[in-house]
Amino acid sequence: MAMQAARRLASWSLQRRLLLPSQVQAPSIPTAAAAAAFLHSHATSFGYKQVREEDKSKLVGNVFSSVASSYDLMNDLMSVGLHRLWKDRLISKLNPFPGMKHLDVAGGTGDVAFRVLERIKSVGHRAMQGTLTETEEDTHIYVCDINPNMLNVGKKRAAERGYSKEHCLSWVQGDAEALSFEDGSMDGYTIAFGIRNVTHIEKALSEAYRVLKRGGRFLCLELSHVDVPVFKEIYDVYSFSVIPTIGELVAGDRQSYQYLVESIRRFPNQEKFAQMIQEAGFQRVEYENLVGGVVAIHSGLKL
Amino acid sequence: MRRTAALLSTHGGRSIPRALADVLVCPLSKQPLRYCEATGSLVSDAAGVSFPVLDGIPSLVPKDGKLLDDQEVKSEQESSTTDSSG
Repeated sequence: MAMQAARRLASWSLQRRLLLPSQVQAPSIPTAAAAAAFLHSHATSFGYKQVREEDKSKLVGNVFSSVASSYDLMNDLMSVGLHRLWKDRLISKLNPFPGMKHLDVAGGTGDVAFRVLERIKSVGHRAMQGTLTETEEDTHIYVCDINPNMLNVGKKRAAERGYSKEHCLSWVQGDAEALSFEDGSMDGYTIAFGIRNVTHIEKALSEAYRVLKRGGRFLCLELSHVDVPVFKEIYDVYSFSVIPTIGELVAGDRQSYQYLVESIRRFPNQEKFAQMIQEAGFQRVEYENLVGGVVAIHSGLKL
Repeated sequence: MRRTAALLSTHGGRSIPRALADVLVCPLSKQPLRYCEATGSLVSDAAGVSFPVLDGIPSLVPKDGKLLDDQEVKSEQESSTTDSSG
């Protein structure tokens, strides 16, 4: 019952926008460079604080080391369980298939990776009536996270769920801005609630583009910008008063959650971010707002 | 393309599974990595950097890479470790 209400809420004010089939079809270098230069300054943001670029990754690292163990519980509390539906939505857009090579970035706790795997299994089993096919054995999901604590949580959870025997999950500590995967090696790339914490978003996007195969899909789930008048005010109160308090009570860490809400407001809005994805070379870029823009799912194809 | 895998396959279970080794490259040079049994690390000869493997998780964050000693890179080369004291 609660789930049903949540589902309705999650799809409330669901909007879909297809961006113009990029005015710059093959993004001309000067435009992309100019945009990158514009987005780029040597000072970067850590929430509302201006910090030096070198410091941001360290500060973000501290946040996630500090909250790793209570990360998923906090997500449940803060989003009243909605993050599960948002992630399910992300997976259905990804449309995983048996034999797929998939990279989930910033997904250390395995939340997205396990969903991809489950979906592939259900697809495979429906088609093959329970027998493990060779294609299914080729399936591989790579989880990349810069934070070792988050990866350890994920690895432990994978073992608890009995995934470690199947050899279809790999854990790699790595930087979204300098991925350690071969060019054109992935069918899919997801990043859920991660790109906001990256120091240079455009570098992460171009790395995503690099590792994807032609035809591969980029999907990004991120907390975004609410533009619905009254709802925006409520959301602001919730963000700036309620969330840091929950953070303090549950994770024992108010500051990390203060950073979280500030970083959401600093992140480029839906249109701007879609434009950045196009500038990285992706085509058919579109986004979907969920819950009035509390979160957005951006998608693009490498063609 | 499968050079990393070839180097790892002789090593068996302990190091890095093949599916992972097949796609891993150096995050800096994007060139293949070599597994060094002696140090239990992944070496990028192109970048002259080695990356640790911790609890079976390769740590391929550029800033965690360690510059290789000159003798590890080229044994015949005379060592001139002036800028990496410590």
